[in-house]
This record gives sequence, C-alpha cells and structure tokens, in this order.
Amino acid sequence: MIEKVMLVDVSKCTACRACQVACKQWNKLPAEKTQQHGTHQNPPDLSWATWNLIRFTEVPLKDGGVKWLFRREACLHCTDPGCQRACPVPGCIVKTPEGAVVINSELCIGCKMCVNSCPFEIPRINPENNKAYKCTFCWDRISHGLIPACAKVCGPGAITFGDKDVMIARAYARAKALGGDATVYGDKYVQGTHVIYVLPEKVRMYERMVVNPSIPISLILWKDILKPLSVLAIGAALVGTFFHYVIKGPKRPEEGGE
Amino acid sequence: MAKPKSKNLILASTTYERVVHWVLALSCLFLFLTGFGLMFHSLSFVARFFPGGHATMKLLHNIDGIIFGIAFLFALIAWGKDTLYFDEDDKKWFRVLGGYLWEVEKVPECGKFNAGQKTFFIVLFIFWFIMVGTGIFMWFPIFPPALTRWLYVGHVFGVLVLGTFLVIHFYLGTYGNPGTFQVMGHGYVTKAWAKLHRPKWLRDVEAGRRSI
Repeated sequence: MIEKVMLVDVSKCTACRACQVACKQWNKLPAEKTQQHGTHQNPPDLSWATWNLIRFTEVPLKDGGVKWLFRREACLHCTDPGCQRACPVPGCIVKTPEGAVVINSELCIGCKMCVNSCPFEIPRINPENNKAYKCTFCWDRISHGLIPACAKVCGPGAITFGDKDVMIARAYARAKALGGDATVYGDKYVQGTHVIYVLPEKVRMYERMVVNPSIPISLILWKDILKPLSVLAIGAALVGTFFHYVIKGPKRPEEGGE
Repeated sequence: MAKPKSKNLILASTTYERVVHWVLALSCLFLFLTGFGLMFHSLSFVARFFPGGHATMKLLHNIDGIIFGIAFLFALIAWGKDTLYFDEDDKKWFRVLGGYLWEVEKVPECGKFNAGQKTFFIVLFIFWFIMVGTGIFMWFPIFPPALTRWLYVGHVFGVLVLGTFLVIHFYLGTYGNPGTFQVMGHGYVTKAWAKLHRPKWLRDVEAGRRSI
C-alpha cells in the first residue's frame, strides 16, 4: 500500500520534544528566539521555521489539581486539503501518492490564502521572503522508503508510521485498549487525515485541537459555488448581449438628426 | 479635440470625464486579466506575460487595485451628482426597461444618464467598496483566518457581479448603441444621438441651464 498514515499515540508521548528537534535538523530549519510564558510551551507556536512542536495544555481540575496534557502539533496532511483548494498557483501545493500535502515554497507568492483556508490553521508565512511553510510529511524521506524524521527519533514509540489501513486499525485497537475518553482523531475528517491521533482525553481538552474539523463553508462558497457561477454569469451576459444585437438590434439615432 | 465645425455635433463629456473613464476602464480590465490569472489555474498562463510570474502578477493586481480604487473617487466627483438619485421619469424608465427588451412606444425621457446607467453606477459604487475593502485585507490580512476567508467570498462575488456588468456595459456603450462610444472617445456626439439618449440633458444644454 502506497498511502501512508502517521499515528500519534498521545498516551505514549513523554513530551521530550525529540520530534521537534529532529524536524528542525532534517529540514535544516533555524532556531528561533523564544519567549517564556510560564509554561513548558516552547516555542510558543508553530512558525515558518517550526513545523512540529509539542503543545502543552494545563487543564485545571475540580479538586484543585492540574491535568497536564501534551501532544505533537503539525500539519495533518488532509486527503481534501483546504490549503490546496485555495492556492492560486498551479503546482505550488501538491499531494503525493503517500498522502503528503507539500507546499513548494519556491512557487509561493505569499497570498496567504492557504494560511486562511486551512481548517487546522497550520501554514505559516516567513516574513522575510513572504512565502508559506509547513510540515512536508518528510516526503523527501518517505518517497525513498524512509520514515519521517519525527517518527524515526521518537523514543517512547508515540509516533509511528506505516500503511494507511494498518495504522488506522492499530489506532482503533489502541483507543479501545485505553478505554475511558480515549478517541481516534483524524480518519473521519476532511476525507481522512494522514496524521491520526489517539487521544486519551476528549478532543476539546487539548489546546488548538479543532473539534470536528471540516473544509470551511466560506471556502466551498468561494471555490465551488461563486467561482463557477461567475463564469456562468459572465458567459450568459456575453451570449445575452450577442442575441440582443441579433434579435432586438441596436438603438440607432434618427438619420441626420436635428 | 478642437470644436468641430459641424453644427450637428455636441460635446457630451468633458476631458476630465473621458480621462477618468479611461483610467477606470484600463485599470479595471487589467484587474480582470490578472485576477482571472490568479482565480483560474487554467488561465495561469497569463502569469507568463510578467517577469517573475505569479508573484509579479499578484503584486500588479494589488497595485492596480489602488489605482482603480482612487480613480473611482474621481468618477464619483464626475458622475455622482447625476447618478445617485432617481426621479419620477426614472421609475417610468424602469417599467419599460428603457425599451431595451421589448417594443415600447415612447421611452420615458432622461437627463444625462438614464435609470439603467444610474443603477450601473450605484452598483459599481457598492462593489467598488466591497472589492477595495476585501482586497486590502486580503493583501494585508490583519484579521483572524476565520474572518479573512469570508473576504475571499466577498471578492469573488464582486467578480461575478462586476464581470457580468462589464460585459453588458461594453455592449451598450459600443455596438448596442451606435454613436455612443465617442462619448468616451473624443467626446462629441451627434445631436440626433443626444436627442435619443439624453433628451432632457440636450434641452438643458441648449437652453443654457447646464454647461455639460
């Protein structure tokens, strides 16, 4: 099977951030100045140079304690990617047979339409060259039979990579074994994401985790309805004016006039 | 153009009006050309006309948007006072749609602009606001993504309406109404044309009640 899925078993993640580092190393992404916000969150958010980070969430409990949650945050590689639908440049955002959604940043014109159309708000612009960047699913590795850098380096085995159906089956088996609120996140959205999570807690507990993500209605209205409708309307106007000329004819002033 | 010798000709538009119209027309056509190049992957070959391809095309689209946006302000000065109202004759004009679609015994008389032209200008006014407003914040997205994506919807809706209007406007201004194109050309039209298209205006000008 050529289509691959990355399974992120959040219950096994120890927040060591080796995946964060491996991603930077393989993709030759520079380190960034970071800020301390009083939590373990570092750097604070994804950026053009940080495609993969551990997102920390502190959930206050009723008994005064805190539930400490963390998960890998990166592009989910949708089967139906909003970013690709929105991109005006042919070939700039492509899907590979493995399921990777890759921004060819060299072709990017900095219109930011992918940034605003992603249901997960993943792509980021490099302000220096005004081009969009995000996780590539390590397409340059997986197309040569290697596994993504983050999966390769993951010590506790929270990130695994393999054939789509095998990984989905493994995800459901794991969620069932965990029991409680454990769920599988990804395979049901945007025709299936190629990064699938096993979440031990409810989806809404995790910061920046979108509950029931889908292609935005605005994107459907824009690309699937109004765009073809505009072609239809302009075409109808061309045909209409042509036949107006043929049937009704032009409005001519009287010969000679006054 | 120097005043023609023929008594049959009358100046229908000032130099100011004609220049403003040409700036609007050319900037608008260029916006459509570059915009379609961005909107349709099948028309992405348009980008090849520009060194730097899509990135240059997008930047020129943005800059041209500013030119169009400012040009419309001058248009508002030129035509606002003659278009942004409707009178009784305009209502009558709407009832027969100016005689454009079926045979009408007598088309209600209009001044410098008929009710259809006024409607065109008002719609252009509304969509000028929509296109410039959405365009600026698409170029500089200061709003969160959930809001910014609705700007794209507004912008493409403008393409739908303005594109349709442009085709009809072009038809009515050229071969649909012979003699009209000169209003934006050298500015002089025959009095017969003015009597047909601007009867009240012609009387006003000839009686000295308005200059143009």
